[in-house]
Amino acid sequence: MFSQIFILSPRGDTIINRDFRSDLPKSTPETFFRQAKTYSGDANPLFTVDCIQFAHIKRGGLYIVGTSRFNLQPAMSLELLDRLAKEIKDFCGVINEEVLRKNFILIYEILDESFDFGYPQLMATEQIKPLIVNDPIQPQPDSVMNSLRPKIQTFNIFVPNTIGSQAVQRSVLNKNQANEIFVDIYEKLNVLFNSSAYVINQSIEGCIQMTSFLQGNPPLKLALNDDLQIGRQQGQYSAGVILDDCNFHECVNANELDMNKTLRIQPPDGQFVVMNYRISGDYAAPFRLFPIIEEISSSKIEVTIKLKACFDAKIIASYATIRIPIPKQTANAYTELVKNAQQETAEYDSNKKMVEWQIKKLNGGQERSLKIKLTLQATQTAHTARKEIGPIAMNFEIPMFNVSRLQIKYLRIEERGNTTNPHRWVRYITQSSSYVCRI
Amino acid sequence: MSRPSASTSSSSRSSRSRYGKEVKELQDALNQNKIESKRDAIRKIIDAMTRGKDVSMLFPDVAKNMETSNLELKKLVYLYIINYAKIMPDLAVMAVNSFRKDARDKTNPFLRALAIRTMGCIRVKLITEYLLDPLKESIKDEDSYVRKTAAICISKLYDVSPELIEEQGLLKLLENLLNDGNAMVVANAVCALLIVQESKGTTMLQLNPYTIQKILTAMNECNEWGVIYCLDALAMYIPEDGKEAEAILERVSPRLNHNNPGVVLSACKIMMKFLDYLQNPETIRQNALKMTAPLISLLSLGKEPEIQYVALKNINLIIQKRPIIIEKDIKVFFCNFNDPIYIKLQKLEVLSKLANNDNIQQILHELKEYTQEVDVEFVRKSVRTIGRCAIKLEKAAEKCVTALWECLKTKVNYVVMESIIVIRDIFRKYPRKYEMILKDLCENLKSIEDPEAKASMIWIIGEYVDTIENADSLLGNFSENFKDEPANVQHQILVAVMKLFLQRPNDGKELIHNLLKTATIECENPDLRDRAYIYWRMLSTDPELAKKIVFTERPTISDSSYTIENELLDKLIENIGNLSSVYTKKPESFVKKLRDVLNSKIADKIDDVYDQDQLMEGRPEDYSDQQGGSSNINENNYETSSQIQSQIQQSQVQQVTQKIDLLDLDENQPQQQQSQQQQQQQQLPTQQIQQPNQFQNIKIPFAEVLNSNTPGSQAQIQGLQIEAAFQKYGDKIVLDLKFTNKTQDKTFSAFGIKFNKNPFKLQPDAIEIQCQPVFPGSTQIAQSSINTNGPALEEPPQMPYKIQVALKTNLDVFYIFIPMSLSVLFSNTASITQQKFIELSQAQNMARKQEVLQIQIDPLKMKEKLERNYFFLIGVRKDERGVELLSYAATLVNGMPLLVNVIHTPTAINLQLQVPHPTLMPLLYQAIGFILTLN
Repeated sequence: MFSQIFILSPRGDTIINRDFRSDLPKSTPETFFRQAKTYSGDANPLFTVDCIQFAHIKRGGLYIVGTSRFNLQPAMSLELLDRLAKEIKDFCGVINEEVLRKNFILIYEILDESFDFGYPQLMATEQIKPLIVNDPIQPQPDSVMNSLRPKIQTFNIFVPNTIGSQAVQRSVLNKNQANEIFVDIYEKLNVLFNSSAYVINQSIEGCIQMTSFLQGNPPLKLALNDDLQIGRQQGQYSAGVILDDCNFHECVNANELDMNKTLRIQPPDGQFVVMNYRISGDYAAPFRLFPIIEEISSSKIEVTIKLKACFDAKIIASYATIRIPIPKQTANAYTELVKNAQQETAEYDSNKKMVEWQIKKLNGGQERSLKIKLTLQATQTAHTARKEIGPIAMNFEIPMFNVSRLQIKYLRIEERGNTTNPHRWVRYITQSSSYVCRI
Repeated sequence: MSRPSASTSSSSRSSRSRYGKEVKELQDALNQNKIESKRDAIRKIIDAMTRGKDVSMLFPDVAKNMETSNLELKKLVYLYIINYAKIMPDLAVMAVNSFRKDARDKTNPFLRALAIRTMGCIRVKLITEYLLDPLKESIKDEDSYVRKTAAICISKLYDVSPELIEEQGLLKLLENLLNDGNAMVVANAVCALLIVQESKGTTMLQLNPYTIQKILTAMNECNEWGVIYCLDALAMYIPEDGKEAEAILERVSPRLNHNNPGVVLSACKIMMKFLDYLQNPETIRQNALKMTAPLISLLSLGKEPEIQYVALKNINLIIQKRPIIIEKDIKVFFCNFNDPIYIKLQKLEVLSKLANNDNIQQILHELKEYTQEVDVEFVRKSVRTIGRCAIKLEKAAEKCVTALWECLKTKVNYVVMESIIVIRDIFRKYPRKYEMILKDLCENLKSIEDPEAKASMIWIIGEYVDTIENADSLLGNFSENFKDEPANVQHQILVAVMKLFLQRPNDGKELIHNLLKTATIECENPDLRDRAYIYWRMLSTDPELAKKIVFTERPTISDSSYTIENELLDKLIENIGNLSSVYTKKPESFVKKLRDVLNSKIADKIDDVYDQDQLMEGRPEDYSDQQGGSSNINENNYETSSQIQSQIQQSQVQQVTQKIDLLDLDENQPQQQQSQQQQQQQQLPTQQIQQPNQFQNIKIPFAEVLNSNTPGSQAQIQGLQIEAAFQKYGDKIVLDLKFTNKTQDKTFSAFGIKFNKNPFKLQPDAIEIQCQPVFPGSTQIAQSSINTNGPALEEPPQMPYKIQVALKTNLDVFYIFIPMSLSVLFSNTASITQQKFIELSQAQNMARKQEVLQIQIDPLKMKEKLERNYFFLIGVRKDERGVELLSYAATLVNGMPLLVNVIHTPTAINLQLQVPHPTLMPLLYQAIGFILTLN
């Protein structure tokens, strides 16, 4: 497994460097950084230099790197680094250079409990919590340095823009914490339409994620829809929620899932994904796009895009962004929104040859439309240029809505006689993953 | 004590003194009584240490604080000591007592574990000895946390001083931990045993039904990383029969639903491996299908693209071995708009593997969409995938061609160019079937820039000169820039114009004339020039024959070039989830010990000074192998540089020693045969003295290869008797020759030798044999050094294995067959480790056979004899009945492994032979017979 684990700043300074096996040269972090910088974009997560295998992930601008000279398991290695990042985040609240520099002793402690001789040992926050003696040092919030730094992205897979959560930036070591638990149901949608708004391919990737601050980590019982079914038979149609496949965190006992649709959970501290699931069947796509392309003349094209929100009027989608690539030979493009359009913008980026249409808020049932008038350069005719339009890609987020209808019926603490009822926060969020319409 | 600031910078004195002042301050803080000030000081020190500053001069001050009862401070001190113990072993000994005390602390198990863990990190032999006693105690500690730490600690110390660990019987204690009641301890023991196994090279983790049960039980209870250790251990097990394999699969398959991709892939590895042991097709099908959903889930479920990439690479291997696993779910492999490019390219790879007559319509529709995207690399690969489908599926070829036709019509430069390359292959596979697209092809000539596309287009024109009316003017245009084109385009122009002339002599007459002239006079590329000359001569002698040659039938092509050879595939399947499967290379090709890397670097330097020609010699050979077929490419990749290195070194040794031999021979007078023979016999032992490390090989007896009654090839002379034998001296192969002149009046001299192509690529270093003239009635002995860089014969060796040799003399040429014992071809580098042996012995494609050798020999004697001939003892194990099984292995010069399990019985020895090719079987048997009986 790993020979070393080191964490480098965006400029390549070593913040943490733990050598487990002493079988690699001392200059390995430099070797890594030099190689990582040769990539034009983000470096390949796995590469080999001089028979040293490097696996790395990037979190909060920092490189978290594991090295080895063996035939390591890349999936496991990347997962390990990700877990390590999660642990650090659980302890420190956030991951960024300043926090890591302040807490480097704590991080060495975490590393030593998590790995022995480079082999993973205990990697669950609540297991190593009793073994850690250092307290986290929070960065001063109003320090000048802090405000100068760019806003740092948290490592979480799902970062909703809509609903902020108190759970996100808190340390599990915070002693006087509230007795509460956050449950999020995230769904990411993949939809591919053809030009007549007919769905070619669609799937949902979802997960149930918890962030637990429950005191004493009591066992929980989570109940899902009664009509839940796991595994799809060929050609079967059912009114219920059918998951093609799902998998669970190791703290979850799913033996009763088939029978009672319940999961028994021994929640660890901090953030964890209770269950991942995948649905490939038909579902009603929340948005439909209707593109119309007209050749006005040999050098002019008009593109009209209608967008329809096909969900309940009470639900509001936010941050919908639609990107329309237009021909490279475009000389000019004018965008035209409906009159009195509110919280809506459409811009043409002449460098990228792309029109970006943003809608801040969109209620269910509403329709919007955009007209783009293109003037082409003389070198290309409208007839050939129209093929270069599209595909249209859409990004959005719909809070308090999920497409699969998977629901949490209840979440209970299993122990009887537990008087203090913890706060339970349940959120549903639907996001686009790849939402594309071909023209 | 060195201070880095002094050595690294020439900065002013003030900074140096400031540095000194800082050190002083830290020292003071450390010597105070307040815990806080000490803690802050050590924090500062460790901070400096992390940033690469040398703070080793503070070692005594820091180490003093070890015996604190404050856990936080203690951890800090430990952290410091781990880092500097190696460079200050003398001072580190000071810390030993404190460690020993902590390790025996009665109250706090965490403290005991901390001490054990930290001690293991101090990689100093001197200190290791002090740690053995507390370590032995901690293995039996009442607390599982301590025991699990102790298990790993043993593997750590084994890395530092293996002898000591073995002497003290710690490995035995480690094995005992497999019986521990705590799952985590068992998992760590498994892990530690695997670590030791890897560095030791012999089996440490004895896998039998009993331990397998232990591991399976532990797997149910330990955490996910423990599960991975257990799964990896299980993957090494060879089940007794299908029933056992099925039972284990039953236990393993629930792990597929884990959300840790590492666990899923490790479980898949076992599934794939054990499916081979099941007999019932229905059971196989059911078990195989269990993998489908989890593998597909790796591609989604919010997994990082990196993980998806690893999964796709593995799926690619898995479906090649068992296509049933992913048959229906092709939609999953359709590219998403936002997939990174490396994912998209892998998905195309999988799609082309999944394509069949039922789903081709759907796949083609997707691929056509992809050809309109912006990313050039993706578009080109999409076009290429359409072509692959056409070649793979004959029934769907027409649909694919239609799709490509549409691509041509887009007029997008790179799409057109890629389409042309692909269409060339389709025309080759289905000649004269899709002529309707020729017109559109010919319309796109101007936009072609890429040399490969250009060459393809010209080839197409040449192929269809009779159909394309204006072929002569098209080719004429291409010929105008003939001199500036790259070699492959020039080549195609020449061939196409030749075809034009042969089919339509009137149109091509002038063109071919000019072209041949240019090619023969102005071209510098010898290949091209030679071809032009040949064409010229063919045309001037027999144009009809030329037509036959130029329009000869070509072998068909297939899609198999993208599949991985079975042997490599099996190897990669065993490495599912490892880097190997992602790189599609055998682990040996990129995993090397640091030592080896350093050594090879040093060796490189030596070689540079020594002999550049030898390095060059290795290359054309590699090249020719690649030419042999693209399926070989993978095989070539894993030839490690160290192997090549060792070959080169070997041949150098050959050269050097050869020179000595030649000198000796030169000194001999032809008349003194007796003394010469004696001298040669004496020479052998002296060689051994010079090279004490060299093994002493058996001497193969001479065989008569040419009877004195046999005339030479031109029937000019008879009367030469030749006896010959291939020998191994040290690590070089030598052909010993004995010439006897039975003529009355002729003298043989000027001997030369040449080998016919043979399976092991043997060839003499030099054609001339250094030998004195053989006068009538006399006998001469000569030697020729052999190397293995010759041309290869793509046929397995036959029994008896003989090499055809042409022997030239001043009077005639003789064609003779010289028998060869396989023992001469054993490579002298012991490259087969125990683990490799196990892997190989499980491999599906090895031929196996039982043989009995009716001789009585002492096992020790046998080992000694075999090892002298580079047949190495790999391990000894006992089977259920307690019969001792000795495993031997050797590698042939071409890298093929030979495995033998030996059971000694009082009257004979039983051999279980395993070789990669059945024809090697009798040869190996014979070679072992030679080694054990001769000498």
